[in-house]
Parts: sequence; C-alpha cells; structure tokens
Amino acid sequence: MDYYVAIASIVGIHALLGLSVYLVAISGQMSFGQQGFFAIGAYLAGMGTALWGLPLLPSLVLGALLAGLIGIVVGFPALRVRGLYLAIATYGFGEVVRLVFLNIRYTKTIGDRVVGPNGAEGFRHVRYVFDRGFTGLQFLGIIAAVVAGVAVLFYLLDRSKLGAMLRAVEEDEVAAATVGIDVTRVKVLAFGAAGAVAGLGGGLFIHFSSYIDHDMVALPLAIASITYPILGGLGSFVGPILGAVLLVSLTEGLRVLHELRMFVYGGLIIVTMLVRPRGLVDEALVLRAKRWVRPRPMPRGGDVP
Amino acid sequence: MKRLWRIGSVVALGALLAWPAGAGAFQSEGTVRIGAMWALSGPGAFFGKSSHGLASLAIDEINEAGGLVVGGKRVKMQLYAEDDACNPEQGLAVVRRLATVDKVLFSLGPSCSSVAEPVFGTLQKRLDDPGDTGLQLLFFTDTATKFGLAKLSPWVFRNTPDEPAMYDFVVKYLKENYPDLKTVMVAYESDFAHSASTWKLALQPALERHKYHQVVEVVDWRWLDNEFGAQVAKLRRANADIYFSLTHTPSTCPSFRELHRQRVKPRIIIGVTSIAAGEVLRQCPDVAEGLIAPSNFAPITAKAKQVADKAWERYSADSHIHSVPAYENVHLMKVLIEKAGIKNTEESLLEDRRKVRDLLARVGTFQGVVGKIKMNPDDHPVRPRDVDKDMILVQVKSAKWTVFWLPANLKQN
Amino acid sequence: MPRILLDATEQLLNGLMYGSLYALIGGGFTILFGVMRKLNLAYGSTIMAGAYVSLIPFYLFGVPAWVMLLSSIAGAVAVGFLVELVCFRFLRKGHELAPLLTTIGMLIVIDEAIVHATGAVGLEYARPFGEESLAWGPFLVRPDYLAILVAALVCFSLIFFLIHRTRLGRAMRAVAERPQAAQILGVSLRRINVLTFALTSALAGVIGFFAVVSVGAARPEMAVWLTGKGLVVTVLGGLGSLRGAILGGLLLGVLEFETMWFLGTSYRDILAFLLLFAILVVRPAGLAGARAT
Repeated sequence: MDYYVAIASIVGIHALLGLSVYLVAISGQMSFGQQGFFAIGAYLAGMGTALWGLPLLPSLVLGALLAGLIGIVVGFPALRVRGLYLAIATYGFGEVVRLVFLNIRYTKTIGDRVVGPNGAEGFRHVRYVFDRGFTGLQFLGIIAAVVAGVAVLFYLLDRSKLGAMLRAVEEDEVAAATVGIDVTRVKVLAFGAAGAVAGLGGGLFIHFSSYIDHDMVALPLAIASITYPILGGLGSFVGPILGAVLLVSLTEGLRVLHELRMFVYGGLIIVTMLVRPRGLVDEALVLRAKRWVRPRPMPRGGDVP
Repeated sequence: MKRLWRIGSVVALGALLAWPAGAGAFQSEGTVRIGAMWALSGPGAFFGKSSHGLASLAIDEINEAGGLVVGGKRVKMQLYAEDDACNPEQGLAVVRRLATVDKVLFSLGPSCSSVAEPVFGTLQKRLDDPGDTGLQLLFFTDTATKFGLAKLSPWVFRNTPDEPAMYDFVVKYLKENYPDLKTVMVAYESDFAHSASTWKLALQPALERHKYHQVVEVVDWRWLDNEFGAQVAKLRRANADIYFSLTHTPSTCPSFRELHRQRVKPRIIIGVTSIAAGEVLRQCPDVAEGLIAPSNFAPITAKAKQVADKAWERYSADSHIHSVPAYENVHLMKVLIEKAGIKNTEESLLEDRRKVRDLLARVGTFQGVVGKIKMNPDDHPVRPRDVDKDMILVQVKSAKWTVFWLPANLKQN
Repeated sequence: MPRILLDATEQLLNGLMYGSLYALIGGGFTILFGVMRKLNLAYGSTIMAGAYVSLIPFYLFGVPAWVMLLSSIAGAVAVGFLVELVCFRFLRKGHELAPLLTTIGMLIVIDEAIVHATGAVGLEYARPFGEESLAWGPFLVRPDYLAILVAALVCFSLIFFLIHRTRLGRAMRAVAERPQAAQILGVSLRRINVLTFALTSALAGVIGFFAVVSVGAARPEMAVWLTGKGLVVTVLGGLGSLRGAILGGLLLGVLEFETMWFLGTSYRDILAFLLLFAILVVRPAGLAGARAT
C-alpha cells in the first residue's frame, strides 16, 4: 500500500511540474527551466518548516510566492525571446538557480542535526511531515488537494476571459494585441503563475523526501517536466496530469522487466508520440469530449483549431 | 473511435504494469526474504552490479549449505533486488516497495549516497514513537559512503569505509614515513556530495589536526567534466610533493592524463576510497600507475582470494571496497536472523525487523572477509551504527591493485 | 609579457581549440535544424554510439586510429539512419514538439544499450596524438586539441563546399528556405531529409572519435553532456545558422577556459548560462540571426 501511495505522491508532485510547463505553453511560450522554480519552492518551503518552525501551509505558500515572484521577474526579459530560443534561455535560468543552490550555505544546528541548505552536501532533515505524525496517505491527501485545487483553477481559467486571452495570445499575438489584449501583461502573468505552480510542487517534494540537493533539480527533471505536457497533450490541463500519471507509473510498473525496463520505457515514449503526435489529450480529443458531454452539434462546426 | 481504443490500451497497459505480482512466501513457503536497492541501470550501474554479484554469492553459499534455521525449520534466503537507477525519486518509491510489497526483513544498499539521503531521511527517526511516521525498514548498507548517513535513522546500519579515520591515518603515515614531503595539493568534485564531504569532513580536518603539511593548492571540478586543463595548470604551478585526488573514476582518469600531459609529477598520489575498484584499471591503468588508495579490501587472505574468484566466475562481479561488504552483511545477517527468534510471517514482519535491528545494534565485533569488523552501538557519540574496520593501503602496480601497506594484525595471516 | 597576459593567451588558445569541438557539435544540430526545422535530441547519443562502434575493431584487432575514425563514422551513420527511421520518418507533418520526445525516447534506448553492453564501465580509448603536450614557447598545447581544430577546419570547409557548390547543397538550401516550393520544383523532401541525416551523422562520427580521444575513455553519460553543449551552441549562434554555430562554439570555449582560469568552476558554469540568457535577451535570434524574429 505504502508503495502505491508513494507512486501517487510522486505523480502528484510531477503533475504540478507538468501543469507549470503547460501554463507557459498555452500562452505561446516554451519553458525548459521550470525545475528552477521547483527548486526555489522546495528550498524555501523546506527552510520554512525546518529552520523557521513555520507550519506546512504557510511554508508552501511562501515557497510558491517567491517562485511566482521570480517567475514574473524572469517573465519580462523572456518576452523578447521565443520558441526554442526561449526554451534554451529558460534552461539557462534553471541551471543558474541550481548552481546558486550548489553554493549556498545557510544552516542552523538544531539538537544534534545540522539543518538547512548546505552546498553540495544538500539540505537534510526536513522532517515536518514525519515528526508531526502524518501518514503517507494523509500527506498524499494534501498533495492531491493541492493538485485538485490547481486543476480547478485551470478548469475555471479555460472558461474565463483570461483563459481566452491566453489562447488568443498563443494563436496570434499581433491579432490579440489589435483587439486590445495586453500581451505583455498576459505573458508575464502566465510566467509568474507557472513559477508559483512549480514552486508548490517543489515545496511538496521536499516534505515528501525530507532532503533535496542541486542534483535533484538538474537536467533529468527538466526533461521530465516537458515530457508530461508534450506526451499528455496540450489540448487541456488533463494532458500534463495524464502524462505524469503514465510516465511515473511506467517507470515503476516496468520493474517486472528487470534489465529491459528502460528500453521499453524509451520505446513506449517513441510509439506513443508516433501514434499521437500532438499528445494523448490533443485539441481534437478535447473537442470530441466536449461534444460527448453536450451531444448537440457545436454552433460553428467542429473544425480543429 | 479507433484512436480512443489505442489510448485506452496505453492507459490499461500502464495500470496493469504498475500492479506488480505479489507472491506469498515467508515461513510457510520455507523462505526468508531479504531485499536490496542498488543502481542496476544507468551510469552508476557498475557499483550496483558488483554489490548484486557479491550478495548473490553469499546467498548461494548459505542456501547450498542448507539455508538457515528459523523457528526450528530450515528455510532458504531469497533476494529481492530492486533497481533505483541512482535516482532519488525512484529510491523513495523503491524503499516502500521493499517494505510493503516485497515485504523484506531487511535491505542492502543503496549504491548512491544521493539516493540514501532521502531514503534514510524518511525512515523512522525515533524508535518506539508512534508519532514518528517514518518508514520502519532495516537497512544494512554496503556502498553509500557519505559521512553521517547512518545518523539519519536508527534503522540504518552501514558496513562502509570510515573516511575521517582513513584520511587521518594517511596524513599521519605520510608525516612519519615521508617527512621530507611537506607540500600538498588537492582536487575534488565540488558537485559530488561524497567527494566534497571527503575533502571538507575527512581530509581537511586531518591535515589541520596534524599541522605538518602545507596545502599549496586546492582545485575543484564537476564530476562529469571532461576538460581539466586549467585546473591541472594550477596544480603544475603549485608543484606540490603530495597530490590528493579525491575524485571518482569518470574524472580521475582524464585528469591523470592531463597531469601526465602537462608533466606534473607529484611524488605521491592518494586517491578517494571508491577508486579502489576495478573501474580505474579498465580506463587508465597506465597513468594510474603508482596511485595509492585507502581501502578495506584487498585479496590478501586465502578466504578473500576465494571470494573474489568465485564472485567473478559466477556473476562477473568485481570484488572491491564497496561490493565485498554486501557479501559480509548477508553472512552476518544469517547468523543474527537465526539468533533473533523471529516468527518470519507476514504479520510479524515489523516485530521481526525490530528484533534483528536490536541484535545488529549489539553485535559488536564480527568476522569480515579480510579481518575483524566492529559495529558501533546506537549510543556511539560520533558514528553510531557505522563500523570500524581494518584499513589497508593499496596501490596500482602494473595495471593491478597491490597491497602497499597492511596493519600488523593482518600481516600474520 | 606579464604573467596575467600569458595566462589569458594560453587559455584563449585552449578555448579556441576546444571551442572548435563545440562548434562541430553545434554544427551537427544546426544543419539538421536548418533543413528539417526539427531538433534531434538523440544527436549526442548518435555521437557516442559512433565512438563505441569504433571500440569494437580497436579491442578485437587493435586497429590504427584512422580505421577507428572511419568505423566511428560508419557506426554513427548507421545509428543516424535508425534515428531518422524510428523518430522522424513516420511522424506526420506539423507537430514540432513530437520529435523532441521521440528523440528523447531514442536517447534513453541508445544510452541504456551502451550501459548494458559495457557493464557501465568507462572503456579506454586510443590515443593517436601522443601522450604529452607540445611546448610552444611559454605555452603548453595539447596535440589532440590541435587535431580537433584541424578536423573542424576540414569538416566545415567540406560542408560549406557541399552546401554552396553542389547540386545536393542547393537542394538542401532550397528545402531549408522554402520546402513547398522546393518540392514543386522536383526536389524529393524525403531524399533530402535522409541525406541530411547521413551528413550530420557522419559528422557525429567524426565528433565521437575526437571527443572521446580528448577524454581518453568512452563513457555513456558523455551523451548528455554533448547534447547540452550542442543545444547551447546552436541557440547561441541562432538556430539554423552554421556561421552562428561556429561563432557560438568558439565563444563558449573561450569563455569557459578564461572564467575557469581566472574565477573558478562555479563562475565558469554560472557565467556561461548568464551570458546565454543575456545574449538571447539582447539578440533574441542568437548571434548570427536577424531574420528569425
């Protein structure tokens, strides 16, 4: 049981990372640096409970806020850059964050433990969850609540004016600007919100693992975070969540294959993309799902955007 | 609709595979389950695979001799080895798989200190405290060496090198035997926790304590770097007598080549403990010639030679400082499991783990492959649940590790 | 000459020589992106696969270095065709994100194959360019880095000749500029794609040989390092601009060596990425790109 709870917890944390990339993507940007915000959220939330004695919730909020704030700061220069250029530029940002944490030492001795970010030796003893008697299942409940909360926000966003503005900016920036959408504001806001979502994921992660170091927020996490929305599909916020569910449970589920595990894992990614090049939940599927919920034909036909 | 089916099948496949087959075992089936988490895939697999081989050899020996006696019945040992790919998140899942799906009595591993950190950090910290919801799984680690890991939880025991003591001895040995070599230069991997802590927590304090050597240059690089020209040029300028290369094989070999290229010739080169494995001999035996490393294993006794040969024959596994402990741990645990009076049922698993844990904490001295090993008790002030064992200095000579120095008690063998 | 200037010059020389390796890697990414408008994240693995293939005749027969170079090229081309077949050929048009994931999948598969074939142990490689650096006045110069510089000059000369002076090059440029128009004029897109793959994979074979020679041992995790450097150089230079990639590679090389010498490892990495971020903000289409915006 604990094993499946742990897998589900990892899925939830990674889903937040995937949603964060998705949020940037639907404003027409491409970020390969969300692991940097994840790291900021993790280190700050960890410091909140382990060093400053704050409860879990304020610590998570603190981490998410700082990550969101830095997201806004990064969002402004990122406006000038687009597409793959932006992906690599944001990867540069993620690496700078990682290297900063590799060099930061800010520790306190509590009892016989040295607590706090400690350079290459990592940030140990974030044991709030275990010391307060949370079971794995209860903490999974917290993770699930956060993911559900974020998902509800995304659902509302899809139906709001802001969501329509985001999609409009993704489709055609110039056209969006001519109908009076403040493109700068929308994009920077998306970057900030995406940073906060990744920061939340990081805050949950450090409390799940009790430990973090710079190596855990390096390239592999960056690759994972873009894999979820691309494989899951950018048609709806369900896509990145589905991507995280599938890929994390495959990593674990394929254990029965022993030596062949990673071969099959890589192979399945290729096959999935060949069969569904726009991801599992693409725009066409979203449209079909909407029709299925509301069987009446859509007023203006059903051509795929 | 076809496409929907395809998605459905992908989802179903994922769900199906995530559900591993649970098998009934334990006393009724005549087995006792032991677990392990190692890096069996990815770049760290060298260490995981050799530990796997040595542990499997020990289990074979026990089972071929009739198994072990639990509750008056002969049972066989069964190994559940899981791959963590040296990835901390996989480690966090796998430790729970071992504890609650594989339901093992105790676990060997992990290979990587970076996996051990979160895995040990999420174990129970205060025994007997129901308010501490950390996982209750007993670990008897063979490889993860970073200083202080066993302190993270009373469920963690390690049979790994005591690096502060080793480097303290090395510094003292150099001072006594090579009094004219006074200057020291150091290279370490600043992004690799084990290497960085060997420098900051083991070697640097030892050099300060003995107040004999003068550190003239310290350089660092990343453990996956491929270019060392600038750092080695600094070492060339420093031109010290003694060079401590606290680096792992991927950067050690190319940096040694660079030393050679730039004609840097320290009188003595000392390596990191993990270097005393076969990897460096396969990558750069030529430039590693003369390298000295502190170790706990060398095939110096008849027993040690026999173990090394058998492990290579059966499992193509290298016997070295990190893999031989896996062999020793399995043999020690066999004795303790027989003594602990466990019930070996699914229901008694937590109690059984606790009984074995308490015995291991009080085991004191036991026989290793090359010498005696002493397990520190829970109340040891600095290194609880870590071991003290004989230290050997080994040296690369003609593409082989040979013994450079032995303690007096091992010489008599 | 004061010492600080001597040091700076020595690192400049090293940076230019090593930077030409970065330029080659970036060149491989750039040619493929220029023609197909797609990134191949399995390119680093293709490079390593070539190097590993060349280890087979080396360990079996102890062949000389030029045979290893050729077998590295042959191995990389074979793996390159496999990547094209599996990751690109059957992908329907208009999905610019999909090849990112198919090639990541391929990267995982190739790396894992290497790990299993070698027991995850680094393997010693040939050292055809001698064991000691050459003393040029006050400077020490690595012969294998000189060889990289020469190899880069030869490769880029050949590539520029191919692109600007041959029919195939014209067709490639046509596809790069206006794929539809090129098709109407009778250029087979598939043929050009496959030939582009052959060209960049052959380049991968050359890179694999020289990169592994400079390290002295082949290790599977070098693939990720190669991919990372390649992406940075490609973007720094301006996606699709070969001149930009060369410039970007040399710049990165020099920057890394100078900061390493004067400031240390931490600054080397941080400054490289900060510079990348800054350049992209000031020149959003890279060093050589003006068109892309």
